[in-house]
Amino acid sequence: MKVLEIRNVSKIYNESEIQVNAVNEVTLDFQEAEFAAIVGPSGSGKTTLLNLIGGLDSPTSGEIIIDGTNLSKLKSSALIDFRMRNIGFVFQAYNLIPVLTAKENIEFIMSLQKWSRLEREERTFELLNAVGLSERANSRPTKMSGGQQQRIAVARALASRPKFVLADEPTANLDTKAAAILLEIMEKLNREERITFIFSTHDARVVKMAHRVITLEDGKVVSDVRR
Amino acid sequence: MIWKTAWKNVWRNKVRSLVVISSVIVGVFAGVFSIALMNGMISQRVDDALNEEISDIQITARDYRTNYDPQLVIRDPEETISKIKLTEGVAGISERIILTGMANTAYKSTGVQIVGIDPEKEKQVLKLYTKLIPGTGDYFNNESKSSPVLIGEDLAKELNIIRYSIDSSTLVRLKARGLPESVMAKLVLLRGKRFTNERQFIKEMKALFAAGESKKYGTVIKKEAWSFRNGARFILTFLDKDNNQVGAAFRITGLYDISNSVFEKSTVFVKNSDLKKLIGLQDNSFHEIVVRISDLDRTESITNTLAVKLSDLEVLSWKKLQPELALMTDMVQQFYLVFGIIILAALAFGIVNTMLMVVLERTKEIGMLTAIGMNKKRIFYMIMLESVFLSLTGGVAGMIISFIVIRITSNTGINLSRYAEGFGAMGYSALIYPRITLGFFGIVTILIVITGVLSSFYPAVKALKLNPVEAIKSE
Repeated sequence: MKVLEIRNVSKIYNESEIQVNAVNEVTLDFQEAEFAAIVGPSGSGKTTLLNLIGGLDSPTSGEIIIDGTNLSKLKSSALIDFRMRNIGFVFQAYNLIPVLTAKENIEFIMSLQKWSRLEREERTFELLNAVGLSERANSRPTKMSGGQQQRIAVARALASRPKFVLADEPTANLDTKAAAILLEIMEKLNREERITFIFSTHDARVVKMAHRVITLEDGKVVSDVRR
Repeated sequence: MIWKTAWKNVWRNKVRSLVVISSVIVGVFAGVFSIALMNGMISQRVDDALNEEISDIQITARDYRTNYDPQLVIRDPEETISKIKLTEGVAGISERIILTGMANTAYKSTGVQIVGIDPEKEKQVLKLYTKLIPGTGDYFNNESKSSPVLIGEDLAKELNIIRYSIDSSTLVRLKARGLPESVMAKLVLLRGKRFTNERQFIKEMKALFAAGESKKYGTVIKKEAWSFRNGARFILTFLDKDNNQVGAAFRITGLYDISNSVFEKSTVFVKNSDLKKLIGLQDNSFHEIVVRISDLDRTESITNTLAVKLSDLEVLSWKKLQPELALMTDMVQQFYLVFGIIILAALAFGIVNTMLMVVLERTKEIGMLTAIGMNKKRIFYMIMLESVFLSLTGGVAGMIISFIVIRITSNTGINLSRYAEGFGAMGYSALIYPRITLGFFGIVTILIVITGVLSSFYPAVKALKLNPVEAIKSE
C-alpha cells in the first residue's frame, strides 16, 4: 500500500539572483513498512527533500501526496495538524523538550491529539519497552546519554502511529555502539509496527540496513535500489 | 500537557525567573499597600468627620447656610422632629443652636463656632463623647448647675489654658516610666517651672537635652508635664437675637481630642438651654437638626425622603456638607485603578523582556515543536501561559505579603506622629490604619492575569513568525 507519493517535485531557491535547484523533478513512491535511506553528498538535496515530504517546506512545483492527501492543498493550520497525525520526525540533534521527562516527551504528541490518559500511558510504556528505556521513564533528557535521548526521540516519533517516520541524520551525533543500538531498534519497530522509515544519511551502517537506497545528486535521483 | 510544560518552562532558568517574580512581588506589594494606606486614610477621614464633626444629615431653615443668620431658625421643631423620627433608617436626632463668637481667656482670644447641644441627645448623633481626654471632666454627664463648655485640646493650647509643668509627681511618674538617670537629672532643673504654652516648653527642653534625648523622650515628658485645671474659666462673646453683644462665663468640663485640629480649634459645645437664655431665643427654636442614620449606603435615599417630607427646610447629606470628602470617596476608586495599571504596566515591560529572551533562546525548540505538529495557536497559548504563570506567581506572593502586612498594620496602625501637626491641619489622623477589601485582591488578580497575557503578545508573535526549517537549523 502506498503511503507516500512524490510527483515531479522541485524546490528552487533564489539566493542573491542565483537560482539553486535544491530538489529537481523528483518522483518517488513509498510503500507501507519500507526502510529506505536517501543518500548523497552534502548539498545533494537530502534534507530539503525530507523537509518537503514532511510539509515543513513547500515545493516550487510538483505534488506530495500522503495517504491520498495532497499536501499543497492544505492550509497552514491543517498542514500542521496533518503532520502531527501522520508524520513522525527524528532530528539529528534529538530535540527533546528538556523540561519534560522521557515519558512526558513521548506523551506530548498524544496529549496534543487528545488521547485519553490511559491510552497515553499504555502506548508510552509500550514504546519505552520497545526502545529499552522503561527504567528511564522519569529521567529528564539532561540526565540521559545522546543515544538514550535519540531512542526517546524515536519513541516520540512513533507515539501516535504515524504513516511514516522521517529521520534526518539520526545517527550523526552518536558513537558506534549507540548508533548500532538505535538502528536495531528502528529496524525492529519498522518490522513490528509496519511503519515506513525514511532516512537522510551519510552513515554507511544505515545504508547497509536499509531495504531501499535512493541516491541524490544535485537534487536529482540518480539511483533507486531496492534490496 | 501544555500547562505542565509551560509551568516547567518558567523554572527552566530559575535565577532569571526569580528576578522577574521578585520584581512583580515588590511592585504588587508596593501598589496594594499604598492603596490600602490611602484607603485607610480616606476611610478614617470620612469616619471621623461623620462620627465627630458633622454626622450623616443636617437640616436647617432655607438660606440659613448662606450667611448663618441666627434669626433663621427651624419653626415648629416638634412637628419636624416627629416627621424625622418616623422616617425609616433614622437612628438618632439632635437639635442645635449655632452661633459664631469669640472665645476669651486672660491670655488670648480667638474666633469660634459655638454649638448649643443637649449632651444626651448629641450622643445619638456623634461619638464626640468618646473623645474626651481622661481627667479633664465629663461634659456629657455633667449635672452641675454652672454653665459647662466642651472645647478642643488644640483650642485650649491656643488659648494657653493647657500648661506644662514639672513638679514632684511628674518626676515620680517619669521615673516609673523608666527614663534614665541622666535625663531625670536634667529634668530636675525644670522643677517648679510652669509653661503657659507647648512651644515654650519644647524650646526649653531642646535647650536642656541633647538632640537624641529630645527625640527619644520628648513625647513622654510632654505628655506627663501636660496639665489642665478642670473647671477652668472660659469666656464666650457673641451676638444675641437682637444683634446685641453678649458675654458669658463658662466652666470647661471637658477637653476633646480628635484628628481634625482645625475643627478642634474652632468649635466649642455648650448646653442649648444655657445659650438660649443668653441670646433670647424661643424655647423650642433651633438652627440645626442633626440626623444619624443606620445604614450609610442609604444616605442619599434617606436624605431625599426627608427633603420631600420637610420641603420648607434644607436637608443636606454629608456629601453636600463636605463635598471635598465626597469627591475623595467617589474619585478614589478610579484613582486606585489608574495607579494599579501604571504599576502593572511598568512590570509588564520586565515580563516582555524576559519572554523575548525565552523565545529567542528556544528558537530551535519552537521549530521542533512546530515540526512535530504543535500548531500556532498552541505555541501562542504555551508562551502566553508561561507569561501568565510568571506574573501570577509573583502577583500571588505579592498579594499574600500585602495581606499579612495590611492585616498587622490595620490592627497596630502606622504611627506618623512625627507629622501629626500637618495631618491634623488637614483633618487627618497621624495614626493610619490601612484598609483593603478582599474583593480588591480579586481585581488585582485579574489585572495581573491581563498583564501576563498582554506581555506575552509580542514575544508570542515573534515565535509564530519562526520558520521551522530555519529554526531547527539554528544554534
